[in-house]
Amino acid sequence: MTRFSTGGWRKAAAFLAIAALLFAACGGATSSPPATSQEPGASTPAESGGQIGGQLNVWTAWGGTELSAYQAVLAPFIEQTGIQVNLLTIRDQDLQLSNNVEAGTSLPDIANPPNPQRYAEWASKGIMKPLEDYLDMTAYTASTLPGLLFEDPNYGFIDGKHYLLMVKSQLKGLIWYNPKVYTGDAPETWEDMVGVSTSGDTKPFCAAFESGDASGWPASDDLANIVMRQSGETVYVDWYEGRHKWTSPEIKQAYETFGEMVANDKVYGGTNYVLSTFFGNAGDGLFTDPAGCTFMEQATFIPSFFTQNDPSVKAGEDFNFFPHPKFNDEFSGNVEGFFDTFVMYNDTPQARALMNYMVTDQAQQLWVDQGGTLAASKNITTYPDLLGGNAATILQGAKNILLTAGDYMPADMQHAYWKSLLDYTNDPSQLDAILANLDTVQAASYTQ
Amino acid sequence: MDQRILSAILAVVVMPIVLVGYIQLGEWILSRLPKRLALRMRPYVWVFPAVAFATVFMVLPTINTIFISFQNAKGAWVGFDNYRFFFTNPDTLASLKNNVLWLVFFTGFVVTFGLLISVIFDRVRYESAAKIAVFLPLPISAVAASIIWKFMFEFQPASHAQTGTLNAIIGTFGFEPIAWLINTTTNNFALIAVGVWTSTGFAMVIISAALKGINSELLEAARVDGANELQVLRGIIIPLLMPTLTVIATTMIITALKVFDVVYTLTNGAYGTDVIARQLFARIANSDYGRAAAVGVVLLVAVTPILLLNIRRFREQEEVR
Repeated sequence: MTRFSTGGWRKAAAFLAIAALLFAACGGATSSPPATSQEPGASTPAESGGQIGGQLNVWTAWGGTELSAYQAVLAPFIEQTGIQVNLLTIRDQDLQLSNNVEAGTSLPDIANPPNPQRYAEWASKGIMKPLEDYLDMTAYTASTLPGLLFEDPNYGFIDGKHYLLMVKSQLKGLIWYNPKVYTGDAPETWEDMVGVSTSGDTKPFCAAFESGDASGWPASDDLANIVMRQSGETVYVDWYEGRHKWTSPEIKQAYETFGEMVANDKVYGGTNYVLSTFFGNAGDGLFTDPAGCTFMEQATFIPSFFTQNDPSVKAGEDFNFFPHPKFNDEFSGNVEGFFDTFVMYNDTPQARALMNYMVTDQAQQLWVDQGGTLAASKNITTYPDLLGGNAATILQGAKNILLTAGDYMPADMQHAYWKSLLDYTNDPSQLDAILANLDTVQAASYTQ
Repeated sequence: MDQRILSAILAVVVMPIVLVGYIQLGEWILSRLPKRLALRMRPYVWVFPAVAFATVFMVLPTINTIFISFQNAKGAWVGFDNYRFFFTNPDTLASLKNNVLWLVFFTGFVVTFGLLISVIFDRVRYESAAKIAVFLPLPISAVAASIIWKFMFEFQPASHAQTGTLNAIIGTFGFEPIAWLINTTTNNFALIAVGVWTSTGFAMVIISAALKGINSELLEAARVDGANELQVLRGIIIPLLMPTLTVIATTMIITALKVFDVVYTLTNGAYGTDVIARQLFARIANSDYGRAAAVGVVLLVAVTPILLLNIRRFREQEEVR
């Protein structure tokens, strides 16, 4: 799972010149700062963006449309620099990277970060290279969404240096609906949403939690969105960092609230269907006739599954979303985001060039234009569709952009967490035993 | 990339050359030794590469694993902590329990079906065709087989068209669809069934071969003496097949103890279906090599007696031949 991202802007003058050149070359957005010269400045060859040549090994976790979107972002970079970028899609990068580090074999030049538990160690050992080494940090911090620059170890901020380059973002916890089925206003509170009356066989909610060996993660986002809005950011952060017990009233209450959404009689197809259905098909019930359900909670990426499953459905007409309803005013400004980040593992001119390129307005805008993603840069305000724009507005207006809790737990805890939601959905009467077991895992997994 | 190609070339081309060179050199040296000494030394020269490979790639890693099992994730010595964790953590205990289920039912079904199928098909003319059908799942990788069964087990709510084969079948008889992999009374057996489906062919082939080795005059004599078929089976065939059945059973017990792929692919251990080997994998994925090694050592200790028994049986069988 991916995390962070960032938009860079106002780099060294030389770099801007290149950016402008690239913009012109592909007829992209024109909001970049004025390029005074076409002559590269006197900085290093890497930053000058001239023909650098050579090779670059990049690992991403993307496949399908996400990967082709990234390839589109890379195209002008490759053309401009002459660097051969070897893209490899590796889903379990944490395992691969840490095995390579453990074995002392070669690492990719640029890849995703490892499990956050390793940030401090890998930063101190110089395995991850700090952005300060090669990036104009003033420009970077000026252009990146403030919510992503939280100076916290989990955001890659270790000993005063940044190690994670924020390249794009997503927004989680959106309530999707079919405007042809649900014509009311966005429910303001959770009670309003749960209380929306449904007719006939239409259930209030749709959900699907199957995802291979990561089954249960979609449910974990549902729970995270409840915790942060019900009990606030302090409880939320303490909870995923292992300082807040699972058996506490706050977390127990969140499970019970989550249970209102996946109760056998409230959810489309019943709980067995929820548990055995692939998360990408969770929205099927929104488009059946008569409608199977009214609402479905999922992140900004889900429309790609809607349209993949049924190419005839259209954003705005057949599906739309509203922000997650609140529980109280105090914590209503908390949103869950997730961010894709890049880490530089080998300091080469080619790697520096790509890291710098990723946070240019050009790269950020190109990415956004491919659809299905939100920029990490706050400079990007033009979105190809209404939904993206609305999501970006929520993200920019958020008081706190909180991390995906499960991703910041030790792997043992994360899997126990995911599994607990499956078990709870399957048999809610076991809640106390489930939470007690999670406390045991918490005690064992954070100590190491 | 270049490095990997180089390694591949090394492994495929250079290694055999080195080995042949080693043998040549060994023989050359032996030929210069006094004849009696050469005779005594020759087996050692020949067996050395195999022993060296086994030591480097199996014995040393095993010893290393035992060492690691006394360390925590950061490499500090923690004594028996990892083992204490293993035997107190509810998840690993539940996994142990499921491995026992696998051990009993997987082994039982594979041996029973293997025996029944070979005995029954022994009497029909389309024997080879029938045996091929049973044998066919064996070459399918366990992951692929699990994906096939994922479709078989697929669940849709009662009001929907059933896309899973099993639920479609029971639906035609008017039963409600069952979420085979989620329902805690069916899921472990559903997983075991996949294992049985892939392994029965193996048992059948071995048992069938042993069955052909039984002298038919023996069976004729029993029948002439008035024994019915069931008595022939119980009194003659099974006792004569016993060494074979034991080898199959022990092999299946080891398979059951280290079962991973079916569980990982179909449920990933959720809904009370976890097994030890998946726990081991989860620990490695977590870079918690200490606890992973402890799981590995427990598994090794559990398998070793059965392994020894298997080897002994196998030797006995060889001697009989």
